[in-house]
Amino acid sequence: MSLLNVKDLQAGYGKVQVLFNGHIKVEPGELVGIVGPNGAGKSTFLGAIAGAVKASHGTIEFGGESIRSKNPEDIVRLGLALVPEGRAIFTDLTVNENLRLGLTGRREKSGAQKAIEEVIDLFPVLTTHRSHQAGLLSGGQQQQLAIARALVSEPKLLMLDEPSLGLSPTVIQDVFGVLNRIQDQGTAIIVVEQRAHLVMSIAARTLVIREGHVRATLLREDAQDEARLAAAYFGTGEDLE
Amino acid sequence: MIQTILDALSYGGLYGLAALGIGLVFGVMRLVNFAHGELIAIGAYLLIVTIDLGLPISISIAVTGTAILALLMEFSVFKRLRVAEPSVLLIASFGVSVFLQRLYEVIFGALPLSGQIAPWMTGVIEFGDTTITRGSLVTIGLALVLLGGMWFFIEKTTLGLQIRAASSDFQTARLLGVRSNRVIGAAFVFSGVLAAAVAFVLVTQRGSVDPLFGVNITILALVGTVIGGLGSLQGAALGGFAVGTTISLLNSFLGNYRIYTYTWLFILVIIVLLVRPGGLISNKAVKERV
Repeated sequence: MSLLNVKDLQAGYGKVQVLFNGHIKVEPGELVGIVGPNGAGKSTFLGAIAGAVKASHGTIEFGGESIRSKNPEDIVRLGLALVPEGRAIFTDLTVNENLRLGLTGRREKSGAQKAIEEVIDLFPVLTTHRSHQAGLLSGGQQQQLAIARALVSEPKLLMLDEPSLGLSPTVIQDVFGVLNRIQDQGTAIIVVEQRAHLVMSIAARTLVIREGHVRATLLREDAQDEARLAAAYFGTGEDLE
Repeated sequence: MIQTILDALSYGGLYGLAALGIGLVFGVMRLVNFAHGELIAIGAYLLIVTIDLGLPISISIAVTGTAILALLMEFSVFKRLRVAEPSVLLIASFGVSVFLQRLYEVIFGALPLSGQIAPWMTGVIEFGDTTITRGSLVTIGLALVLLGGMWFFIEKTTLGLQIRAASSDFQTARLLGVRSNRVIGAAFVFSGVLAAAVAFVLVTQRGSVDPLFGVNITILALVGTVIGGLGSLQGAALGGFAVGTTISLLNSFLGNYRIYTYTWLFILVIIVLLVRPGGLISNKAVKERV
């Protein structure tokens, strides 16, 4: 049984439909990428899975349980965490307070402090800033805090929306390096990115979304095939799925 | 002079409590709750009609009743408007306010209802040549205890942390597991408790309550929350304190010209907002880094 199984998902904002046909399967411990141009519906897709955007049609099963009608605070307690685009850390709270908020969505209330310490080990750059205001961290540190905050809830599936946004190449390498380590610990990951090569370098398979439809599934080796990549990304030629 | 300073501090504390009550609900719901005045009014009504049971029981009933009415507002009206635009929430709160004013007229009458709640508060204490009113001291003490208690709750407890997070970014707080109904419910309850405290001070000063009892202080406390910085709880308390203190000092210094108190107050408010449009403590104080 797949950890996440989404079929025929439609979602949008009011009368504006953004996602027309979202589908994805994620197995436990798998890292899946989602790429697509600006406005393709990638963030809406993740938001609808996490309960932040209302889905109007389709099914979302997580761990065999339907979660389409659940609200975000219940979904995170089932083990599905979203790091939204733009980090969404609480800049006026301290790093430690941000991490404590991440504990809210834990299923197991025991071992909370241990979970924070383990996550800090994964992101040692946060160690010296724990009592500092989160808004004073650099962009890369804020992104690491956002991921760390999601991890303290010990999710079975971690969803990241454009984690490279606004970061320098060196910092991007650091952040993506940590994703592999998180996956090694058994956590499944979905990474949404505009930079196809970046996400395809760590994901075994990558979905391409254009105009609200999942148009293609690319494998890691497809990253070398520029023609196939361009066709999938920009929609030149037929859909490749 | 000492009495002037104490009056200013007690007014500041009183308006700070009212503004914090409004700021708590605004923070988590982006709702400017005009019906906060009717929470203050019900607190005062409950104090007067139950005072024969003794002050401690009367205060307990007033605090509990006001908190329950605040929760009732949330469950019966505002909970149904969770995804509505702020303008819809604002109009709804006007509706609740007017409805409750009419309801108070039906239940308690349109004329002021009189009663002595704590007559010992109207006395004075003499220190040599200086006399100060007990009311000022009690109000300052009450404000210190409640603002201190609220500070501890907001800064040191998990629910307080969740309220701060929800005030900053409600959607992200929910994605982390913060239960929206619990946080909003808590904000309304504490808003009600603070309204009851304001009612106690006001009704001991005035000795009567009418259906429009809480309207004036609510409008001025709203001004305080704007000056302090909408969305900031510390800002709301500070802004309310600033408005209350300024009113008291203007009343003292203007003497026979005190009819111009509010004129000067709002001139100062405009100047503050021109200099700091985001309020004294802006939620956007920390600039985003890349």
